[in-house]
Amino acid sequence: MFSLKRSKALLSAVLGTALVAAGCGGDSTAPSSAPSSETSASATTGAKVLNIGLKADPPSMDPTISTSLYDRQVYASLYDKLFDLDSEGNIVPMLVDTYEISPDGKTYTFKLKQGIKFHDGTDFNAEAVKFNFDRNLNEEQSRRKGELKFVQSVSVVDEYTVQVQLSQPFAPFLSVLTDRSGMMVSPTAVKKYGADYVNNPVGTGPFVFVKQVKGDSVTLKKNENYWNGEVKLDEVNYKVFTNGSAKVQNLRSGMLDIIDETPVKEIPALEADPNFEMIIESGLGYQGLHLNNSRPPFDNKYLRAAVDRAIDREALVKVLFDGYAAPARTAFPKGNLAYNEELNTPVKPNPDEIKELLAKGGKPNGFEFKLKITTSPENEQLGAVIQNMLKPYNINVVLEKVEYGQLLEAGSKGEFDAMQLGWSGRPDPDLNFHDFVVTGNLNNYGRISIPQLDEIVLQARAEQDPEKRKALYAEATKIMQEEAAYSYLYHQYVLIGYNKKVTGLQFYPDGLIRTAALDKQ
Amino acid sequence: MMFVVRRLLLTIPILLLVSIMTFSLIHLIPGDPARVILGQEATPEAYAALRAELGLDKPIVVQYFSWLGKVLQGDLGISITDRVPVSQLIMQRLPATVELTIGTFLVAILIAFPTGILAAVRRGTWVDYTSTFAALGGMSIPSFWLAMMLIIYFAVENQWLPSSGYVPFSEDPVRNLMAMILPCLATGLRESAVLMRMIRSSLLDVVNMDFIRTAKAKGLNEARTILGHALRNAMIPVVTTSGLMIAGLLGGLVITESIFSIPGFGRLIVESVFKRDYVTVQGAILVSAVLVVLVNLIVDILYAVIDPRIKAGKGAGE
Repeated sequence: MFSLKRSKALLSAVLGTALVAAGCGGDSTAPSSAPSSETSASATTGAKVLNIGLKADPPSMDPTISTSLYDRQVYASLYDKLFDLDSEGNIVPMLVDTYEISPDGKTYTFKLKQGIKFHDGTDFNAEAVKFNFDRNLNEEQSRRKGELKFVQSVSVVDEYTVQVQLSQPFAPFLSVLTDRSGMMVSPTAVKKYGADYVNNPVGTGPFVFVKQVKGDSVTLKKNENYWNGEVKLDEVNYKVFTNGSAKVQNLRSGMLDIIDETPVKEIPALEADPNFEMIIESGLGYQGLHLNNSRPPFDNKYLRAAVDRAIDREALVKVLFDGYAAPARTAFPKGNLAYNEELNTPVKPNPDEIKELLAKGGKPNGFEFKLKITTSPENEQLGAVIQNMLKPYNINVVLEKVEYGQLLEAGSKGEFDAMQLGWSGRPDPDLNFHDFVVTGNLNNYGRISIPQLDEIVLQARAEQDPEKRKALYAEATKIMQEEAAYSYLYHQYVLIGYNKKVTGLQFYPDGLIRTAALDKQ
Repeated sequence: MMFVVRRLLLTIPILLLVSIMTFSLIHLIPGDPARVILGQEATPEAYAALRAELGLDKPIVVQYFSWLGKVLQGDLGISITDRVPVSQLIMQRLPATVELTIGTFLVAILIAFPTGILAAVRRGTWVDYTSTFAALGGMSIPSFWLAMMLIIYFAVENQWLPSSGYVPFSEDPVRNLMAMILPCLATGLRESAVLMRMIRSSLLDVVNMDFIRTAKAKGLNEARTILGHALRNAMIPVVTTSGLMIAGLLGGLVITESIFSIPGFGRLIVESVFKRDYVTVQGAILVSAVLVVLVNLIVDILYAVIDPRIKAGKGAGE
């Protein structure tokens, strides 16, 4: 009997210690938890709190070192940018008041808006802009060096005027400044916190950072002194839901007001429910197949074309996404400057044409190739669909499932026949195109090398006139299609679901939720 | 005491082996971590710089020893993506998982003990069949499905409990407990089925032994025989199962954590794997291995307390 009591005592001691450990662990986060008791208090006093569900954890609050798409959702509330996109996808000044581009396209002069302060009280001025450019260009950890590589120098002209000198004309420059490279962080905060700035971000945006619980949530509160009109919400919380269905159920239960991405199977039910609304629009990117132009079988343009023409994009999008994606034949979705409806319209596969292409390519009886895809249910389904679409022409697809890291490595070494990899997309056409199609570029996994194409793309990159650029990209696209250098398959959609209590929500082509103008009934 | 010391010393080579395996596994994964971290935005310079920063340009043995050296000083490194110490990330994530584990365990034993004992005592009756049937059902239902059903019924349809919204216990105990009920039920119901079957069969084994017959012959009533004599002897396999269950839960609550959006330890590992944050993966796997070793240690000590023959090293048919 005695030892039974002892064992009970031990068991309870173990559980007790575990409980204490749990409590202690909670204490270890005490410094960061202090502000949130404030937030839970404000929740009970009827403050307007908006909860946004994100698909993945935003890893970094510092735009200079950010590589994640999910960071940018939070940045949309925390940081203002030199330029922004409007709902049509046009580039509009944000922190910049007026700007001038020199005729040679190499000198950009920005006149800044005045009277704006960072959340910590630091003035926003030309010095701050220069500080941000220098940090993005020089900081060792900076992931912005690539997109800013043509910036030669940045100089302060007067308190509210900055001049940026480029080493060569680069038309996408302003569009780069509508994203992380154009986000302004407080120089004072960077100097004060050093490497710990990630955990103490300070911008000029409509909301102020309160706390981040890694893997769980980011809490922001209203910026009382926002320069661009009064902020109506008191608090914005970003919460992470890696499970799509759970995210939808949280929207239904009222724990979330907006979700960044809706699983396609859940869309019809949400649309049918009078309490909820959907934003369904084309995003900026594309998905497709890299065909290895440098080795057999795809060093043969007719065989590339045979594969490209045999894929029925409409059917593919229907099977994979219930129609909630756009069939693609170019790198430029709706909302992109270079979007061209005629060139992007999918064509039904024509068996006679495909057979003719196979014959011209010297393989009238078909051929076999390996297609590398990453392991996800969606990609495996995509692989299977393509396999079945090519089968009638005796084109035998062998699917090879690899891990993402392996795929990137095979891509950069050119060790593949075909592989599925797309691009999340950028607003400027050059950033969806140049790195992927110009000879010798890092992301040109398919080893596309067409001198005429290179020339047009470089010309378009230096051209300032949007209409002329559009024409150049149309020309380049025609070459891509004729050569079937890369097989574009579909453009992903932005699928935002939200509660009707939220007002002021608008679609922007970058898919980011702008919270400055939002309100909640 | 000697038993405990011996048992403790034995954990050292185990942990060393675990550290070697953790380290090699991560480095055996095909594909270059630097490439994945930088993704398609990589420039050759950034790529080389990151490789150097991660020490990937050094021989693997050198990498292992420099890692182990730091680990022994309590330094698990700095997370590649989050830029904070890995130990801090783990300490932030463990409390939620420990709480979930305890809650799950409580739900499991609260259901398993009474039903398991009843099923054993009333063997062959409708009580036994019903509980067996329920347990089979419980074991077959995937926990994510059960979790979704619980959310839909308790949170969406009836709004009795929140569908998510974890807050640390120290911050707001009421909200914490409210948010933990559904997740603990979702995993606990399932685990209780396993435990209940274990209790039933182990109790049945004991009930047929001579000493129980003797006790009954001496005129002890059934409740006292079962609770006083049989149950204690039936505990050993149950303690083993519980130990394994707790150890498994500590790292394996990923699905529950992701459905209920609980910032737990299991999710930390999975998220870090996806982000290729291999510094965090290494640290977290090491910590979870240490936890499993510790739980096993506690279970072994518990054995010795329940059954003194084990302490003496004679071994009592496990």
